[in-house]
Amino acid sequence: MSDAAPVLLIVDDEEQILNALRRCLRREGFGILTAQTPHEARKWLLEREVRVVLSDHKMPNSSGLEILAMARELRPRTARLLISGWPEQVPADRLASLGVRALLPKPWDDHELKAALRSALEAGSAGPGDR
Amino acid sequence: MAVDESGAIASVVRVGIWLAGEAREGAGSLAALRELGRQGEVELELVRDVRGARDLAEGGELDLLVIEDPGAPGAAGLLAALREAGPACIAVTAAGDDAAALAAFRAGARNCVSSGPAFSAELPRAAIAELRRHRQARESAWLAQRIGRLQRYDENILQHLNAALLAVDLHGRITFANASAGSVLGAAGDELEGRPVWDWFGEDGDGSSCLARTLREGVRFRGAEIEMRRSDGAAVPVGISCAPLLDDAGVQEGAVAVFQDLSEIGQLREQLLQSEKMASIGQLAAGVAHEINNPVGFIHANLYQMSEYIGDIEVLWSRVDELGKAVESGDLEIARARMAALRDAAAEVDVDFVLRDLGKAVRESQEGSERIRHIVQDLRDFARQDSGELAPADLNGCVDSTASIAWTMMKHSVVLEKAYGDLPQVRCNAMQLKQMVMNLLVNACQAIQARHGDSGELGRIVVRTRRDGDDAVVEIEDSGVGFGPEIAERLFDPFFTTKEVGEGTGLGLSTSYNIVRRHGGSLRAEGRPGEGACFTLRLPICGPGVEAQERP
Repeated sequence: MSDAAPVLLIVDDEEQILNALRRCLRREGFGILTAQTPHEARKWLLEREVRVVLSDHKMPNSSGLEILAMARELRPRTARLLISGWPEQVPADRLASLGVRALLPKPWDDHELKAALRSALEAGSAGPGDR
Repeated sequence: MAVDESGAIASVVRVGIWLAGEAREGAGSLAALRELGRQGEVELELVRDVRGARDLAEGGELDLLVIEDPGAPGAAGLLAALREAGPACIAVTAAGDDAAALAAFRAGARNCVSSGPAFSAELPRAAIAELRRHRQARESAWLAQRIGRLQRYDENILQHLNAALLAVDLHGRITFANASAGSVLGAAGDELEGRPVWDWFGEDGDGSSCLARTLREGVRFRGAEIEMRRSDGAAVPVGISCAPLLDDAGVQEGAVAVFQDLSEIGQLREQLLQSEKMASIGQLAAGVAHEINNPVGFIHANLYQMSEYIGDIEVLWSRVDELGKAVESGDLEIARARMAALRDAAAEVDVDFVLRDLGKAVRESQEGSERIRHIVQDLRDFARQDSGELAPADLNGCVDSTASIAWTMMKHSVVLEKAYGDLPQVRCNAMQLKQMVMNLLVNACQAIQARHGDSGELGRIVVRTRRDGDDAVVEIEDSGVGFGPEIAERLFDPFFTTKEVGEGTGLGLSTSYNIVRRHGGSLRAEGRPGEGACFTLRLPICGPGVEAQERP
């Protein structure tokens, strides 16, 4: 991956999910980072120019909404996406207040996922004032 | 003195007088009865002919009619008419005229007074006697009517009572049965009287039938649950209360039984238990779905990716194939070009990566499917059909497999600690015990959710097992909302719940309690509001003793 490639951070407690997402997005032109804990995610957000964050919702020791809140705090310009096995259970007001760009189901549809990430990236680069 | 409809005694007495003529008026009945009037309130009404007398007697509320001239035309007819229903009549006859007096009596007069010297004393005396008699007659008619009404009222109550009621004599022959009794027994109510009650409440060989014992020993039963045989032969569970029936002297003359068909209640109870089970299965299913969703997610994605890899490999293979053909043809130039094309293609698809990652994707997908298989296996073990029998079982294994299923639904909110001690095989119904441990774990998890809600704070559940003498002990401790003594008292009551209506049937803990009792064990709950709770289950290792049998 070149330095110019936009950086995507994927957060999920399951390694196999991270691997599967990595496979799926391998040719999408992202520099892909993965994290299994909030601690790791925080480290990447501080160290790297993360452009897009894709986080699982329910994890044993944190929630995706917390991860995205942290991303907004550390890197306000990140595009933030949530992926969940029970998307209907995610509180809509929290999604709105965190400026979450897309809520994706799990299992996901590869095309839908790729399209959501692409549009998140485009919108992110188009609107620098994105919150 | 008269008695009115409601039973009160009216103070005004109405006396009619059929005057014989102007001539005798001054010394006649009127004067004598006016004297009577001074002693109490008497209304005197005078008439001068049979028609007036009849109208007065039949129309008004007359208490007494005095006829001065019973020999007058029409007088005998009037007397006869009034004999059956109407005021008493006193006939006034000439002194010494016994024939007239006899005729008046025959006609229907209640008394005769002769107009002799003592007339003015005799007539009031006779009048008072008649009025008294009249009043008594009316009172007793009224009482009879009232008793009749009360009897009908009682009978109505008994007949239309929602509970079945029957009375039997000392031989067990039915002396009374209400409509409900008829419908529970399966026979028309009027067919029951006189029939032996044993046709339905079979007098068992051991004579344990409540009714039989009430008849024989005079003991009372309250709310006993027995089985009764309907007329059509079907066995029906009934709740029955029996009491001896005593006569006025206190000697037993039979028994009375009130009973109720329990089959509907039993069905209702079963339905509720089933719905409780379904509710915990629902919760379980949500947890399991969660647990299965992740592997399904990555297997799904991997399969898609693997098919892409296969496409890449097919492209490479076609290049290899072309190269092979060129080599076979011996055209080195073409072979070189195709070799270059193969290298380009290999670089394009990143073949090293694809081959490495394909193997990894297959392995990970296998692991995922193994995880799903394991979850399904756990579920199947948990839901295995209940044989209902007690058999030696590995209690730690039961607790652990249940805890691992429960864990799938609580892992996002709970830390589960296990501390299993050494236990011998315990005689129990493994399926029921698992269900009970599941109930307790679900309860603990709900208590934790009630305390922490969605705050993300983790609760703690500790599952411990140990041996204590002849007992195996399982403890389930949670850091949930806990409860105070007022709730502890009612915790195991059927239908008691602190949850919102519709969220719990209140049967979980009561079911657990019943399961433990069937095993001859005990279930104790300790809790403090806001600090969590601990449920301690104690089971005799050798299974239930005699005293642990369920109530009939």
